Amino acid sequence: MDVLTVKNLSVSFYRQSGEIEAVKNVSFSLRAGEILVIMGDTGCGKSVLCKSIVKLLPDIAKVKTGQIFFQGKEITDYSEKEMQKLRGNSFSMVFQNPMTALNPCMSVGEQIAEAVRLRQPGISRKDLKSRVTELMELVGLDRPGERAGQYPIHFSGGMAQRCVIAIALAAKPSVLFADEPTTSLDAGVQEQILELLLELRRKLGMAVILITHNPYVAAKMADRAALMRGGEIYRIGDAEEIFEKIIHNNHP
Amino acid sequence: MKKRFPGISLFILTVVIAGCLACGAVMTKDPAYMDLANSNTAPCRAFFFGTDAMGRDVFSMIWHGGRVSLFIGFLATLISTAVAVLVGSVSGCAPAWIDGAMMGLTDIVLSVPGLLLTVFLQAVLGGSSVIGLAVVIGLTGWMSMARVVRTEVLQLKNMDYVLAARCLGGGFFHILCRHLAPNFIPSILFMAVMNVRSAIVAESTLSFMGIGLPVEVISWGSMLSLSENALITRSWWTVLIPGVFLLVTLLCLTNLGNYMRKSGSKRHSNL
Amino acid sequence: MRKSYITIIHELGKLLLSIFLLSVLVFTMSRLAPGDPLYSYYGDQVEKMGPQEQEEARERLGLHEPLPVQYARWFQGAVRGDFGISYKYKTDVKEVIAGRIGNTLLLGGLGFVIIFGVALLLGLFCAWREDKWADRVVCGIGTVTSCIPEFWLSLLLILVFSVWLGWLPSSGAYSVGMEGSLADRVRHLVLPLTVVVLGHLWYYAYLVRNRLLEETRADYVLLARMKGLSGKQVLYRHCLRNAMPSYLSMMAIALPHILGGTYVAETVFSYPGIGTLAYESARYQDYNLLMLISLMTGGLVIVGNMFAKVINERIDPRMGLKTGGMSEEVKD
Repeated sequence: MDVLTVKNLSVSFYRQSGEIEAVKNVSFSLRAGEILVIMGDTGCGKSVLCKSIVKLLPDIAKVKTGQIFFQGKEITDYSEKEMQKLRGNSFSMVFQNPMTALNPCMSVGEQIAEAVRLRQPGISRKDLKSRVTELMELVGLDRPGERAGQYPIHFSGGMAQRCVIAIALAAKPSVLFADEPTTSLDAGVQEQILELLLELRRKLGMAVILITHNPYVAAKMADRAALMRGGEIYRIGDAEEIFEKIIHNNHP
Repeated sequence: MKKRFPGISLFILTVVIAGCLACGAVMTKDPAYMDLANSNTAPCRAFFFGTDAMGRDVFSMIWHGGRVSLFIGFLATLISTAVAVLVGSVSGCAPAWIDGAMMGLTDIVLSVPGLLLTVFLQAVLGGSSVIGLAVVIGLTGWMSMARVVRTEVLQLKNMDYVLAARCLGGGFFHILCRHLAPNFIPSILFMAVMNVRSAIVAESTLSFMGIGLPVEVISWGSMLSLSENALITRSWWTVLIPGVFLLVTLLCLTNLGNYMRKSGSKRHSNL
Repeated sequence: MRKSYITIIHELGKLLLSIFLLSVLVFTMSRLAPGDPLYSYYGDQVEKMGPQEQEEARERLGLHEPLPVQYARWFQGAVRGDFGISYKYKTDVKEVIAGRIGNTLLLGGLGFVIIFGVALLLGLFCAWREDKWADRVVCGIGTVTSCIPEFWLSLLLILVFSVWLGWLPSSGAYSVGMEGSLADRVRHLVLPLTVVVLGHLWYYAYLVRNRLLEETRADYVLLARMKGLSGKQVLYRHCLRNAMPSYLSMMAIALPHILGGTYVAETVFSYPGIGTLAYESARYQDYNLLMLISLMTGGLVIVGNMFAKVINERIDPRMGLKTGGMSEEVKD
């Protein structure tokens, strides 16, 4: 079954200099529990595509045409209120740079707790605390009790990214958007985070849209892959098929 | 944060400056002539903006006085900018302890209310010439700009092209003039325009309080220094009209300055 | 524990040194400046005095000695809390100041509270409505108010509210014979307070606005919104909170600015406060009075800066120091 379907989506930025089409007529669907990798060069519209699905585009960008379906329901014209509910419950996102994605003035525990409380408004203090601990353990943060009180500045890049993932998981999402989650990390840490994402997918069964420009990451993670260029998806299919072709093209 | 070009402000400012520079052609009367028979006349056909308590024609005084006010504004800014660039770049290039001491001092001077410092200095030094006043105002307005220059210099100092210039044997002043100055000029231009503004305010305030220019030297400030009497005689035009000219000039300068301000942040809110 | 004591002693030492340097600076500058303090003491009678008499008067006031000696004498007194007499008022300078400081604290203090309350609200409002028409209108009005010179605003207010409408008094802190009446005090306070508030308000409101706008451009806003927070909630819970340390340190630095910046309003409204006193003392070489006022202002400035520094270092975790307070929800 498809959790997310995008049909003929076009997104444009309206600047003083004129209209810039960032996403052109993109269609794809995401199956439950799979990892779809969207691969392409910087500036090809991968991030804009993601942000337009969760409706977090800046004011000057507008969805021109297209439809988005989530679990069979059309969400294209959802109001901001309805989207908030969706974001807190069904969609989550992991960002490129964990150090800027975390609020530097708020302890990590607080930030995770905030996400938990939005998902479960009436939660008791005790349950909240245990849920935060649980989430931190889930993403592999050791000594959660102690680390919860610390600020992002006390964390290394990899550890901070684990916190961001913990926040994302607090919503128990059906779809996790991972926007270049390993680009700003060291190679070794990158590997760990990718393993973590695979493991979490196995445990929690959510679908993942992973955006990357790195072919290695793509090949390692993808169940299916979509290749983007100039705002268009020019090829989409099973990972093996796609990567075989790439390899084939590069080494004739 | 979109920026719209302040065309109207620029236009008005040009008109005011041109009018003041060419005041001989604009004036209808001799601004210094005291027509005591016609003192405190309301605006009429003979006196467009009325006359003040000494019978001087306000319309002519405004253009004539604007010249002095603007001159002080620009001269004071020239002085404060020169001091700021010097202090800022020396501080930015000097060893840490000199830098620390200089910036500490700058901070202390900076945290004294600006106008109070000017009032104090002017009251103590007491000169009442146009140049003297400009010097006092200039000497009390360089601090925040010096900080900006220093920050810029610190950032630029370690840039590769400056290193390259050093490797080629460029001296301090050579590097300052050829490499550093062109880079921090955009960021201090905004502050310079704002300094013109605060210098004009300082001149008028000091003159108003009686420690700036005397009544005989016509400027916007000294014109307004008579307005406390004007309140009694209810000749509102001597308060309102020069004040509006002053305000409009300041407003145009502010708009112009804001336009020049370098905006470092991203353009679009994530909110 | 031990380390924090050393820090306190260190900071205290710096404070004393700064104040000492300030006193030397003001002392030297005021005495080197042209002008004769005798005018301050004897008024126009000085002109009737012969050179002999003037010399005697100088000797009585201790003005004949070389500068370092004069300073040493002043310093000795100051350490014991004796700051000398005011030449103009012929009494202890402390008394002169004590009689007026209440008025300035009332004007400046009230102004300070209003300025920072309203600046925060305005800043938040503008940041929330960024670049919408409401923001533009507020910014436009704000820019205009920030351009109005304080003295001219005072004149305008007097012209409108005292001369034309006759609603509010144009000078003084209270009407003669009504010293005890609160309503009368308030009536006298309205116009000067308006001038003090409008003179500073937009500067700080604009700073708050820009600081918040900077925060809204950070990546963490996206993460917070992905959690399901609305834009407004993110602004209040995240952006505002992050802007708070710089807001507080701004307040600390602004305190002397606002308290010391009341002199224009005081002068125009003949409001008996420290501002007018400071101006008079500098103008007419009332040395002892000038010294004490400068020291008070300087002290306030230095203390304000220290507070700002402490706030910056202790409250903001970005400064790298671990804060003592943990989060409420997940404290261990």
